[in-house]
Amino acid sequence: MKGLHGIIFSYEQRNDLRELGEIRCPSSMPFGCRFRTVDFALSNLVNAGTTDVGIVLHGKYQSLLDHLGSGKDWDLSRKRGGLRLLPPFNYQQNWGVMPFRGKVEALAHVRSYLATIRQEYVVMMDGDLVANLPIGDIFEAHLKSGADITVVCGNDSFATENGTYFEKNAEGRITQVLYNLNNPRGFRGLEVYILSTQLLKDLVDECSAKDQFSWRRDVLQAKKDSLNLGSYIWNGYAAQIRSIQEYYDRSMQLLNPSVRSDLFNPVRPIRAQVTDMAPSYVGADGRCVNSLMADGCTIEGVVENSILSSGVVVEPGAVVRNCMLFQGTVVRRNAQLSYIITDKHVEILPDRTLMGHATYPIVLAKGSRV
Amino acid sequence: MKKECIAMLLAGGQGSRLYVLTGDMAKPAVPFGGKYRIIDFPLSNCTNSGIDTVGVLTQYRPLELNSYIGSGQPWDLDSADGGVHILPPYMGSKGGTWYKGTANAIFQNIGFIDMYEPDYVVILSGDHIYKMNYAKMVERHKAANAACTISVMEVPWEEAPRFGIMSVDGEDMITEFAEKPKEPKSNLASMGIYVFSWKALRQYLIDDENNPASENDFGKNVIPAMLGNHERMAAYRFQGYWKDVGTLDSLWDANMDMLAPESGLDLHDRSWPIYARSVNAAPAFLGPQSSVTHSAFNRGSDLEGVVENSVLSPNVDVAPGARVSYSVLLPGAKVEAGAVVEYAILGEGCRIGKDCRVGGKPEDFPEGWGLTVLAPNCVLPDGKNVAPGVMLDCDGKEVPKK
Repeated sequence: MKGLHGIIFSYEQRNDLRELGEIRCPSSMPFGCRFRTVDFALSNLVNAGTTDVGIVLHGKYQSLLDHLGSGKDWDLSRKRGGLRLLPPFNYQQNWGVMPFRGKVEALAHVRSYLATIRQEYVVMMDGDLVANLPIGDIFEAHLKSGADITVVCGNDSFATENGTYFEKNAEGRITQVLYNLNNPRGFRGLEVYILSTQLLKDLVDECSAKDQFSWRRDVLQAKKDSLNLGSYIWNGYAAQIRSIQEYYDRSMQLLNPSVRSDLFNPVRPIRAQVTDMAPSYVGADGRCVNSLMADGCTIEGVVENSILSSGVVVEPGAVVRNCMLFQGTVVRRNAQLSYIITDKHVEILPDRTLMGHATYPIVLAKGSRV
Repeated sequence: MKKECIAMLLAGGQGSRLYVLTGDMAKPAVPFGGKYRIIDFPLSNCTNSGIDTVGVLTQYRPLELNSYIGSGQPWDLDSADGGVHILPPYMGSKGGTWYKGTANAIFQNIGFIDMYEPDYVVILSGDHIYKMNYAKMVERHKAANAACTISVMEVPWEEAPRFGIMSVDGEDMITEFAEKPKEPKSNLASMGIYVFSWKALRQYLIDDENNPASENDFGKNVIPAMLGNHERMAAYRFQGYWKDVGTLDSLWDANMDMLAPESGLDLHDRSWPIYARSVNAAPAFLGPQSSVTHSAFNRGSDLEGVVENSVLSPNVDVAPGARVSYSVLLPGAKVEAGAVVEYAILGEGCRIGKDCRVGGKPEDFPEGWGLTVLAPNCVLPDGKNVAPGVMLDCDGKEVPKK
């Protein structure tokens, strides 16, 4: 098998993550109780045999760095290759101050790193994609198809914040590249692209020479006729975490067993940072139904239709419905929560009642005390 | 590389009183408390106590244990100087032997210990559930200027005849040691945890090896010999939760203790974490019809039925309409619809078919009641009934507990 190198984009992009996005980039959003969004891209790559992965960082990446560490939780702490963290480092131009305007600018920024890639092919992914993609199969399909670039799409036109949409012909060749659509149509792009390392370097160099920065506009749209853009349609679950509403809706879909078995397919396990917490515990008078839970939770109250990260405490008499509670959230006695997302270490004092709605979940910022 | 203190962990025992659970693995590798294995306790205690060099002496069925320990990274014991080392018996130019006893196991590894030139060696065993700061015990050892310090705890007088009992003087120095005495003179029981000054222990191990009458055992030979020579032997009083999980009943008890904070076994305490090798799996799901009460559970589990007063390991499934109570389910156990599991230990990968009945309540079986135990990978066909007290091997055949 020819080598495949992974590049994960984790720089700040337009999003609507409100309080949750103030302290972290979308790549380090908690997802599915015990994961961060970036775990999915990393695991997808590692499961396809990728040994070298670069992560392009820019802005609010402290939380992500804490999470990634040396990369050993994904087997990416290696003597050769492994995880490369790529914060802004090309200071020849004024980059590093302003957020990147697009993927090409981000890549130009780490151009010296691109030169060191030892694999013949590159897969580019966004850190905010939650999916269990068979990258190995997609790579094989790319090699077989003879396409210059393979674009991975979901089989829907689901409206996602700042999404890219593709239209293709019967042979699977991309015919249209669209974004900023009011009414999305075509196939939703998952921002996963496979191409040869050489082509990537050529494209980046060509674009920088013309001060072009956008992958979708200056590469995909501009070259859709001169380059052979192939497509790969993924029929499984694929969420892009770009707005609170999307985040909440997509998370709640995990309560559906078929979504879980697709996303947590044991053949391609999703690896996460190791947490050393005791097993979770439901007390003698606790009640917890239709909910997902990470380690170290203690439930003595009522929990329904909710997603609980590690170390959450729900005291006796408290009622939690349709909520997402992040790590270390404490819900004190007789508090009532409904459609609430609590960031890490939020404490809800006794007898408080907080209520959002399915169409507007209320977000409580990290460490708040209600 | 000189170290002040290193630990040697005796993990070679079969644990024959765990019967089918240790058919394929050494006792320290047996899963405990949902996400742990027994050996996680001494290893985590070492790392939390600042001991960064641990020799693990293996002998019986070491595969599972070796692969579990791996590089020692989960316990932060993968350091460049020190870390965890697996020490099996070996051949030398003059032949070699299995580890004949606990003291002989250490004797055979004098070379390993000498590499670190330690002042003190902590001897641990791999079959106890407890949280203990060995650094405090070493401090006591130093303050008492002892050759050997033995950790002891007070046990109820009526239970004292089951333990090795220490008599102490006014300064808590050990004056007498009696193995399982009929008429105990004290209620201080040895916990099988020793700190030795390495220079002293080294000589006693050599002398013990040269004594053909010796059984090469710490409790039977080395400690009595040191007492006989009037070495300074200190007792270190331990207070807190400690349990020998060498039997099926005590293993089950200790699992149940995890559910009861008043037992003193608090695994949520972040100041003394017990580390374990992590399993990659989805979060635990508690289904819409489920009823999970007074139970602990772990990732990868899909709980759709009734679970009460039980401890569930990762990747356990309890189907709708099934009921599990007062039981310990080891990793990957599956209970299908309509099955009832009571007062049982289900080994790794067990599958309980639909409408099976496994075990029963003690009050319903006044005579001959016992825990029901299924060996790892035992598969019960639908509708099968397994009576309380019965133990099945991996082929589903009944085996006696003797």
